[in-house]
Amino acid sequence: MWKALKGGRAAAAALALAAAVAAVSPANAVEKVDGKFWMVIGGRQAVSHVDPGQSYDYAIRMMTQALYDGLVKYEGDPPQVKPWLAESWETSEDGLTWTFHLAQNATFHNGDPVTAEAVVYSYQRVLNMNEGVAWMLSDVLKPENIKAVDAHTVEFTLDRPYAPFLSFLPWWFVVNPAQVEANVVDGDFGKAWLATNEAGSGPYTLEKFDQGTAYWLKRNPDYWKGFPYEDDAMGGIIYRLIRESSSQRASLLKGEADLVTDLTPEELDAVGARNEIEITSTPALTSFGFKMNTQGQHMSDVNLRKAVAYAFDYDSLIKIYNGQAKLQDSPFTDAIRGHVDVEGIPRQDLEKAKEYLAKSAWPEGGITLEFVYVQGLEQQRQMGLALLDSLKALNIELEMVPLTWPNMVARAADPAQSPDLMCIFATPVSTDPDAVAIQYHPSSHGKYYGSHFLDDAELNAMIMEARSLSEWSEREPIYAQIQARIVELQPEVFGMMRNRSFAHRDWVKGYADSPIRMTGEVDLYPLHIQAP
Amino acid sequence: MSRLILKRLALTALMLLGLAVVTFTVANIAPGDPARLAAGPDATQEMVERIRVERGLDQPLPLRFAYYVSDLLTGDLGTSVYTGRPVAEDMATFLPATLELVLFAITLAIVFGIPLGVAAAVRQNKASDHLIRLIAVSGVALPMFWLGLMLQWYLALELDLFPLRGRLGVFSDVPPTITGMYTVDALLAGRLDTFAEALRHMLLPALALSLPALAAIIRVNRAEMLEVLGRDYVVNARAQGIGPGRIIGAYALKNAILPTLAMIGLRFGWMLGGTVLVEGVFDFPGIGLYAAKAAVSSDFEPIMAVTLALGAAFMLTNLVIDLLYAALDPRVRAQI
Repeated sequence: MWKALKGGRAAAAALALAAAVAAVSPANAVEKVDGKFWMVIGGRQAVSHVDPGQSYDYAIRMMTQALYDGLVKYEGDPPQVKPWLAESWETSEDGLTWTFHLAQNATFHNGDPVTAEAVVYSYQRVLNMNEGVAWMLSDVLKPENIKAVDAHTVEFTLDRPYAPFLSFLPWWFVVNPAQVEANVVDGDFGKAWLATNEAGSGPYTLEKFDQGTAYWLKRNPDYWKGFPYEDDAMGGIIYRLIRESSSQRASLLKGEADLVTDLTPEELDAVGARNEIEITSTPALTSFGFKMNTQGQHMSDVNLRKAVAYAFDYDSLIKIYNGQAKLQDSPFTDAIRGHVDVEGIPRQDLEKAKEYLAKSAWPEGGITLEFVYVQGLEQQRQMGLALLDSLKALNIELEMVPLTWPNMVARAADPAQSPDLMCIFATPVSTDPDAVAIQYHPSSHGKYYGSHFLDDAELNAMIMEARSLSEWSEREPIYAQIQARIVELQPEVFGMMRNRSFAHRDWVKGYADSPIRMTGEVDLYPLHIQAP
Repeated sequence: MSRLILKRLALTALMLLGLAVVTFTVANIAPGDPARLAAGPDATQEMVERIRVERGLDQPLPLRFAYYVSDLLTGDLGTSVYTGRPVAEDMATFLPATLELVLFAITLAIVFGIPLGVAAAVRQNKASDHLIRLIAVSGVALPMFWLGLMLQWYLALELDLFPLRGRLGVFSDVPPTITGMYTVDALLAGRLDTFAEALRHMLLPALALSLPALAAIIRVNRAEMLEVLGRDYVVNARAQGIGPGRIIGAYALKNAILPTLAMIGLRFGWMLGGTVLVEGVFDFPGIGLYAAKAAVSSDFEPIMAVTLALGAAFMLTNLVIDLLYAALDPRVRAQI
């Protein structure tokens, strides 16, 4: 008989060590550092940089909006453009010249005043870099046509009247020229430095940029605009990366996160039942649909497009999101200015579907359509299955092809490659109707939301006319016609508006949603903690 | 011996070049347009083309490869489209985290695996053998991410024994960076509390990561031990009245350990390349998540860097294992 083995003892010792290491974790309460509350937000997307001039996504935008100020800012539901660095502005008769009057007391974090020169520098920097938000204005605004009239007045002269101009300005932030210039290396516009440092005037300063882990924003108690709450016990906000929805939920329940963004419908249901958790779920500006390649072999036939649109079971979209979604009544989502409910927008009607199919080149069906969706997005897979099921009634097969996002973007860029149907979420960056209308214009071909390759002369003319008029009363009726015309052309199966859903502990106050924000994006400015 | 090392290192460099060629080609012929992705969803065609030229993506493939290799030799790994930072900096941030996790996991697998393998062999077909084999089978059968999720749910959320995620608590100070491995850096800085905290954060992900390796080590070690324990010299030793501890430790295990060593080397390499699921569950900011993000963003330079780093680590591990073979087995030494 072999005696008790050394191995067994070693294993027991190691287990004991493990148990000793496993001390009790922090309590389920708000975190305080130096007597101030620090709020932890758990989000799924990493912040790749904090330069307001480079590329943007929701995480970047959430950070830059807290670190910097724009001339104006979006707030509210429906979203309104509110004065911010600019206290007031006016437009010339011809709609070409925009003059902004800056707040006198605005200062950067280092104490420098925010001047008209700083505004000019910031806009010119982005236009010259031609990155990030540059596309919004590069067609109508030349860098040399931005001028500082005096220390607190800045004037923009556009190449041609452009009604949506103001609606883009909330995403153009003002940097401190002195700080940026001091950190320019080899003519890089200060990009390398601004990626992980800030030169802003916003309500928060950048405390720590811990790549791939957490991003610390310290509240700036001297913020020139003040805060919309009295209590000054708020120390700062940590945006912590939590990549899995199930982990987000666990963190919220355990108190490791105070607010989590972009939960899946299942996780949202699970946390919503708890007393200490509050959830908000509101329709977003984001639209969802199956874009159909109107220059493709099959979908160039408008009757086939109509047949597919009438065959689809729209209610399945709502079921997939556990009720946290609303069907689209128009190509323009509800919060878009000028939205109208388009009469006759297709809902499931198999009789009509069959009528349209009979008029198409494939009256008996018998074809296979390619359906492309994002690999790994379970909800999109389910939508594909719903469509597959619906199309059986028309004797049409559906080949479901999951692709990674880069591959989808690559296929969407070429009409010969673009699939019959493609699952697309599209979030316009402004509430101006032009931001959506332009998605159906040939200038959007090559972009992921232009995978329909629609090119209709009548529609194109209306879109171009509406964006050039400055009076809303003149634009409004044209946008009603544009919406009807897009539905008539049916370049996509118009789907739904998914809700933006957030869950937070009950001690988080000031949460203000606005449909303009991207999936997972939160306005950090009014957020604060009230002692539980 | 030193000639062998030099020869093997030269061979490793050659293999790395081959790996670079293959990865470079595959990453570049795959569909996807890195310039468009870098420019952003709403970018104009002009913005896309400017980035294409700026990043040299408009150049012919062989020329780009030549540029890449010459940059590589000067230590320039390029810039990540996604993070916008030099890839070398990103690697310096994320690689030590993964290395630390994998070293910890493989240590767990060895510390538990070898004794359990020996115990199972010694007590063949007894209850403890069956139990140990059950662990071994589970290690192969249970998916790593599922195990991670279960450990997280039960031990961290329900019992509150461990942190849910990350490398350190949100409010904990990171030790001064020397190696980038928090446990090592904490010890070097003499901060035992930070060391314990980092270890506590690593335990669950390391456990999930180590189980498949643990299973493999148990199985190989058990099989080898069984074979060795039946050999004549072991029977002879027992007949001479030598104690069981000495027989197992000095005679049997030394001979049975060689295949186990090879298995450990292989598993270490696999672990380095296979941490992404565990890193995802525990939000452990390592090279796996970095590589996965790069892959789905067609972020070509990080993909290259990670592949080359992991390839080099795999090859060096094999070299070390071969040297250990030589150190342990005089027959191998004689062949050199």
